[in-house]
Amino acid sequence: MGRLSRYIWRYWRSYLVGGLCLLGTATLVMWIPWWIREAVRVIEHGGPMRDVTYYAVLIIAAAVVQGVVRAYSRALIFNAGRTVEYDLRNDLFAHLQKLPLSFYHNQRTGDLMSRVINDISAVRIMLGPGVLNFVNAPLYYVYAVALMLSMDVRMTLAALAPFPLLMYVAAKFRGRIMKSSLQVQQQMSVLSSHVQENLSGMHVVKAYAQEQFQAQQFIGLNKDYEVKSLEMAKMRGIVNPIMQGINGLTVLIVIWYGGVRVMRGDLLVADIVAFIAYLNVLAWPTAAFGWMLSLVERGRAAMRRLEEILETTPAIANEPPPQITFSLKQGIEFRDVSFTHERQRNGHATLEGIDFKLPVGRSVGLVGRVGSGKSTVAQLVPRLFDVSTGAVLMDGQDIRKLSLHELRKMIGYVPQEPFLFSTSLKNNLAFGRDACSMEEVARAVQIAKLDRDVEIFSHGLDTIVGERGVTLSGGQKQRATLARALIMDPPVLILDDCLSSVDAQTEAEILHELRAILKNKTCLIISHRISAVKEVDEILVLDEGQIIERGNHDQLVRLGGVYAELYQQQRLSEELEQI
Amino acid sequence: MAQAIAQEELLGKAYDFRLIRRLWQFIRPYKRLFLISMLVLPLQQAFGLAQPYLMKIGIDQYIAGKDLWGLQTVMLLFLGALIGETVAIFAQYYLSMVVAQRCLADLRVAIFSHVQKLPMSYFDRNPVGRLVTRMTTDVDVLQEMFSSGVMTLVADFTMVIWIVGIMFYLDVELALVSLGLIPPMAFAINFFRVKARQTYRLIRERIARINAYLGEAISGMSVIQLFAREEKTFHEFEVLNADHRDAYHLSNLYEAALYSMVEAAGAVSVGLLLWYGGGEVLQGIIGIGTLVAFKEYIHRFFVPLREFSQKYAVMQSAMASAERIFQLLDTPVDIQSPRNAQVPKPFRGEVVFDDVWFHYQSGDPVLKGVSFRIEPGEKVALVGATGSGKTTTIKLLNRFYDIGQGSIKVSGLDVRQWDLRALRQHVGVVLQDVFLFAGDVRANLALGDPSIPLERIERAAQLANADSFICALSDGYHGHVRERGSNFSAGQRQLLSLARVLVYQPEILVMDEATSSVDTETEALIQDALEKVMRNRTCLLIAHRLSTIRNADRIIVLHHGEVREVGSHAQLMEKKGIYHRLYQLQYEREQLKFATPETALKVNA
Repeated sequence: MGRLSRYIWRYWRSYLVGGLCLLGTATLVMWIPWWIREAVRVIEHGGPMRDVTYYAVLIIAAAVVQGVVRAYSRALIFNAGRTVEYDLRNDLFAHLQKLPLSFYHNQRTGDLMSRVINDISAVRIMLGPGVLNFVNAPLYYVYAVALMLSMDVRMTLAALAPFPLLMYVAAKFRGRIMKSSLQVQQQMSVLSSHVQENLSGMHVVKAYAQEQFQAQQFIGLNKDYEVKSLEMAKMRGIVNPIMQGINGLTVLIVIWYGGVRVMRGDLLVADIVAFIAYLNVLAWPTAAFGWMLSLVERGRAAMRRLEEILETTPAIANEPPPQITFSLKQGIEFRDVSFTHERQRNGHATLEGIDFKLPVGRSVGLVGRVGSGKSTVAQLVPRLFDVSTGAVLMDGQDIRKLSLHELRKMIGYVPQEPFLFSTSLKNNLAFGRDACSMEEVARAVQIAKLDRDVEIFSHGLDTIVGERGVTLSGGQKQRATLARALIMDPPVLILDDCLSSVDAQTEAEILHELRAILKNKTCLIISHRISAVKEVDEILVLDEGQIIERGNHDQLVRLGGVYAELYQQQRLSEELEQI
Repeated sequence: MAQAIAQEELLGKAYDFRLIRRLWQFIRPYKRLFLISMLVLPLQQAFGLAQPYLMKIGIDQYIAGKDLWGLQTVMLLFLGALIGETVAIFAQYYLSMVVAQRCLADLRVAIFSHVQKLPMSYFDRNPVGRLVTRMTTDVDVLQEMFSSGVMTLVADFTMVIWIVGIMFYLDVELALVSLGLIPPMAFAINFFRVKARQTYRLIRERIARINAYLGEAISGMSVIQLFAREEKTFHEFEVLNADHRDAYHLSNLYEAALYSMVEAAGAVSVGLLLWYGGGEVLQGIIGIGTLVAFKEYIHRFFVPLREFSQKYAVMQSAMASAERIFQLLDTPVDIQSPRNAQVPKPFRGEVVFDDVWFHYQSGDPVLKGVSFRIEPGEKVALVGATGSGKTTTIKLLNRFYDIGQGSIKVSGLDVRQWDLRALRQHVGVVLQDVFLFAGDVRANLALGDPSIPLERIERAAQLANADSFICALSDGYHGHVRERGSNFSAGQRQLLSLARVLVYQPEILVMDEATSSVDTETEALIQDALEKVMRNRTCLLIAHRLSTIRNADRIIVLHHGEVREVGSHAQLMEKKGIYHRLYQLQYEREQLKFATPETALKVNA
């Protein structure tokens, strides 16, 4: 638990002072029954009243001081827990930002989120209330037992006689409750994956009119969950009253046994009163003992899970020493690149023998069918993934030797799947810049042909685009992401089929506008439309991760291969559009 | 960022009676049990409150009077009260948990069943994750409300009244003195409670922001990384995080003050009790036992006060969850069977589209006056470029969506007058992406209906040429299917979906052929299976295979949401119109297996 103790150590002052305050509180709390005993003893002996008043004042004073110190210690320790939570959450967030995309492909956002939320909170509870009770409970026990022993040994032993029983009950049920709650959790995940799947396959469910059937299955699983939850509730329900009952039993013993001895004359009623008071003080730490242990257990397990994330080393990171400043002078080169994704999913194709040069100021186009590896080639440039063999070079330098930050700053990447944040359109567009003028925004909006849309939006550029940009159409989202990249004004521009949802005519207009800008940029254009790549310097045709044809448009058409075929089809479908 | 999501988290006020009334609807079936659990409460309280009184009698009468038998009798009574209290607490908790689990299970089923009825358009708009949360997390929060004893808030209050009553009965003056602190305490507690509530609201708002921000950052991580905006994003996150921490620091202060004050007040009251009560004992007005009993009652008096703020917080989040759940339950079910739903008999199997208009977004019609007629037993291929409205057409046929204008008749009856379930049993729609559920092969073919005999399933699989690879699985028909069928190839998945059709035997088959490429051998199997599936039924197919259009009796060409050409393959080819071009574009080059723009678009969309 190295990391955890580091966090705690950072706030040792809070924990130390808080702990000392707890000690102070416990001391005062423990003296109150003692003074009650003294006061009752005076009363039993028939006075004087002055002494009774004296002890009463002592008790009241102790109560007030104790209250203040207690408040301070609680706030101090709970706040330390919250501060650790804050640190931990920051560290986690910072770390998540360093993790490569492959990490996110293997995780569902929801799972990751609930892990982060629930686990952090479990760690916080351990470090706040957990620590407090962990310090308090032994302190109370030691104090109370010592003081009780000093009053009367036999009476103490009699009063504490049910405690072994209490320990036994606590230990026995704790294991069972843990097991039972695990079963409840498992059943819950069965239930929620059923729901998840039912909802994802809703069109099948509806198409075959299986709603009632699905509901019946759900009812079955739900019933299991109900039964398991009740099983757990039963055990939880037994433990608390038994603990409380055993505590009452100790009081009973004290009165009974104490009463007999008072009658015999070798004990005072004052002692009985004091014993009851001490047992009352012990009631809470006793009842909370099992709870406290489970807090610690849960906290540690949560911390382990968080450490798993924190210790995932970013596969793509700066190799020291990164070259700090860099400007592209010659160009980008793919030198015999191959790439195999660890998991052949998410549409990442394998690449083999990709070899081409993209000189500064030039543009290269990539075409090929879905899954041919076009996007993967593009994603290797900003190092969303790293090559398996071969290298991507910039001015002859392996990009893995460059500062990741600087590399990415240099590239404007417009992905196929547009992702917008749920802020205003303007904030989204300016995402890549610390500050930018309205003119720059307006210019980019105009190039991306978003200007007409912005005019229609009720709040113009200040329109909130909603979660993932839901309020925008697919084409609007794509054009917005293009504008976002353009505002960055990067030397390298990568367009990953980023206008697929835009109609052909608008795309043509955008491409026309872009042409002027692309002149002084190094550009990689991926498209399923020939029109988008027709005028680039070199076109690469990919199939199954390999370059099967290369050349400019005229050369490839003349070649009469796959590209020419594709071009022919494109013309046909354009003709079709016109009908 | 993410204000909208944050807003969603903030719904609901505690003690919203409208919500409580609706929750009561779910408790009502178990109201007898609920009532019993509530009736156990006074019993539990009586057992609890009897104990200090028995202590008083034991000390004052029997210990002071040196009456051993008397003491033993009282102590046995005490033991009885103790056991009674223990049993009552358990019974109360368990009974209320039975009620809670049953009514929450009902609630989950209600949500699930309601969601089943929601129209497809709802699922187009709402992410699956959010709906899952409604059925799991939100219902769990409600459970917390039961288990943390929020339901006993009223009982807590009555117990406080009881205690005060007993104290006054025992000794009015002493009661006044030892409870003298209560009025100022009540003020102070209320002050901190109000403060705590305000900060609690603040905290909820801020944690919702953090979580929304985090969720968005995770989904948009590639954008953040590509634009190298980690620092800026981290800074924004840190600010949210710090706000949340500060709000909690404040709340911890209030909470600590409140808690400590209640504790201290308890101790001060004991001091006052000793001082005044001690005097009374010395004067012989009361016995020491009364002092002891008073001390016990004071102790019990403060317990509910201490728990109040905690219960309040639970209540507040429970109300927020209830609000979200009921919002979902109130989402109207737009597409359902009409009141006097009909099922035409005998079923003839013709399909008529008459001037059908449809749009997903107003002002952007996808179908513009589509009319056609399919005779029983006829096989019709639907052909058109992307966006021509083919998929929409087949989704309308079994009422995934309702049309804006015109009518769709199946077997002579408008689909909106059909019994929806019967309609979908008669009209089998197979969509392009084959969806397999996690589970076993049999459940996937029968869609989980165990009443379908295995023989029928096996026969269907044999006809669909799926039998051989199913039997090759280690568990055969009980072979495991992974989530979304990822352990089957695209071709196998298609064969399974054809087998599914054969299990259900709909009279009308409506199908969007899968486009994913498969090897020639599997392709032959699929074509063979397809032929068998199409035999003896009315078929409407969005054709992607050359063989399918060749085998069709008639071809309907959709273009920009309108029917432009109708006829057989030969007739349409001769016409040299849209179909001719589509044919060249989509089918002629089938052998090339090179992506048509059509498929490229499909995947991107």
